[in-house]
Amino acid sequence: MKSIVLSGVVTALLVFGGCSSKEPAVDDQAVNNVEEVASAPTQEVESVATETVASEESVVSSSTNEYDMNTIESKLPTIYFAFDKYDISSEMQEKIDAAAELGKKVASNYKVKLEGNCDEWGSDEYNFALGLKRTDAVKKALIADGIDASRISMVSYGESNPVCTDHTKECWAKNRRVDFKLLP
Amino acid sequence: MKVLFLLFFYLNIVYAGDATIEVIKKADSLPTLAVEDASINYNDTFKLRFFKSLVADLNVISLFNVDRHHRVVPYNDTDVLVENKDMQYVIRYKLFEDDNGAMNLNMKLLERGSEVFGKNYRVSNKDIYMFVSHAIAYDINEYMGADSVEWMKRKVIFARVVGPKKSDIIISDYTLSYQHTIIKGGFNLFPKWANRSQNAFYYTSLDSNVPTLKYVDIKTASVKSIISSDGMMICSDVSNDGNTLLLTMAKEGQPDIYTYNVKTHKYKRETTYKGIDVNAQFMSKDSIAFISSRLGYPNVFTKKLSTNEIEQIVYYGNSNSACSAHGHYIVYKARESSNAFSENTFNLHLVSTETDLIRRLTATGINEFPRFSKDGDAIIFVKNYKGQSSIGIIRLKYNKNYLFPLKSGRVQSMDW
Repeated sequence: MKSIVLSGVVTALLVFGGCSSKEPAVDDQAVNNVEEVASAPTQEVESVATETVASEESVVSSSTNEYDMNTIESKLPTIYFAFDKYDISSEMQEKIDAAAELGKKVASNYKVKLEGNCDEWGSDEYNFALGLKRTDAVKKALIADGIDASRISMVSYGESNPVCTDHTKECWAKNRRVDFKLLP
Repeated sequence: MKVLFLLFFYLNIVYAGDATIEVIKKADSLPTLAVEDASINYNDTFKLRFFKSLVADLNVISLFNVDRHHRVVPYNDTDVLVENKDMQYVIRYKLFEDDNGAMNLNMKLLERGSEVFGKNYRVSNKDIYMFVSHAIAYDINEYMGADSVEWMKRKVIFARVVGPKKSDIIISDYTLSYQHTIIKGGFNLFPKWANRSQNAFYYTSLDSNVPTLKYVDIKTASVKSIISSDGMMICSDVSNDGNTLLLTMAKEGQPDIYTYNVKTHKYKRETTYKGIDVNAQFMSKDSIAFISSRLGYPNVFTKKLSTNEIEQIVYYGNSNSACSAHGHYIVYKARESSNAFSENTFNLHLVSTETDLIRRLTATGINEFPRFSKDGDAIIFVKNYKGQSSIGIIRLKYNKNYLFPLKSGRVQSMDW
């Protein structure tokens, strides 16, 4: 189960709230202006709001099911791409064809989530979009191979989900990829 | 010998590389300013840390040639130190702890030896000393009658990747020296302030199967889901009134720019190009700048929302993949080298949509995540150079860049 812990905002974050409004006169006796940069009591946002997000890990209940899913998933390929490109090479097309065969047979009861990833060159929105276009190219190839579009979902992780963190050509090539994840 | 060694060690601390400044253009005509420390209570390490923070902030206001020698003096001495007698300005301050354990600071500004301005500050906890240092610089700037540095008081929000599919969202001061993790755990990216008062923000949650835009009210700590899109969901910008969001969504696998009305919850597709359109930024209520691959590589374009008129803005570089806008000014990130696999240089450039102005703002390393301050006076960015990440502040009017080295982690995205 994944959870998000939202913690309180401490005094410092309120400091500037205090500053931007009119300066409070703290001590009339003071020779100079005394600026209370932060009010003493820490306004702690008390609740630690925990939000449970439905995630693929939390849904799997049957161990047999999980075993099947993991076994099949391990047979699914990773699709690699050239630098700054999202078109599919013939070598990768063969892998997608094989994946589609699995999708029509042993994995026919599952949905698939395609996860697009990029190398570290570019860490902005454009990189996320590039990851997504890669994912979309794989999705279109799977549909062309006869997989129902409703079984496929997509997400892009940009450069935030690397499998390799060295700063080498080989490493970057490994990160420009689309992974297959099965969903029940 | 011992004394010499100690002196050497001390000077090393004083001149250690952190929180220092990169000055691109030296303005020798600026008045000189020295800072004298009259602190009591706190240990030397803390005193020095505070001194450095203050010197850095005073440099950023770009009004003085700030002397970096840390010199100690009693607060009530009538004369400035002999070493500082030729300085046009001297700031003398005294840090002390009161009975409640709060950190207090008395400060006076001396011009040619006479006190011309003074102010006292207090914070409940000495760990947030940097806010006092920012406040002093802000006040000195106001006293000198220079253009406002209101942005010094604004908060930065950023996402830091801590592992594959794991990230934190952090709120900090503009130098990122104070950091408070507001969302810990999970995979949450692209935080954006929801309004000018910075009491709420949006971010992208990638924890569920569908990327979802969420809204957090900081005061109540409540989180609500706003809108989801298969594939991709990013809030790229928020209008000045907070009512309209510029989103990048990917309905049917196609990354495009959408406007989203916060009140009616209705969205409208603004771009339809079959490649990539992302990173939209408001230039005015009716026009946006954005990044598109419509020329076969990422470049900067503008669009009028009412007329659908699209214009290419940048005619330089072969990969301009991020931008930020303020009025008719756009700052963008350009890849300078054509080799995708060697040492790459990414520089920031400033262009105007109304004149033929183009100005390179950085010179070395990988410079990214540019964001204009709300008043357009400064640009914040992240610089990676020789294995060191720093937060950078560009003062456009003064043609100066300032760097604050980052302690750890890789910034994924940030807003100011």
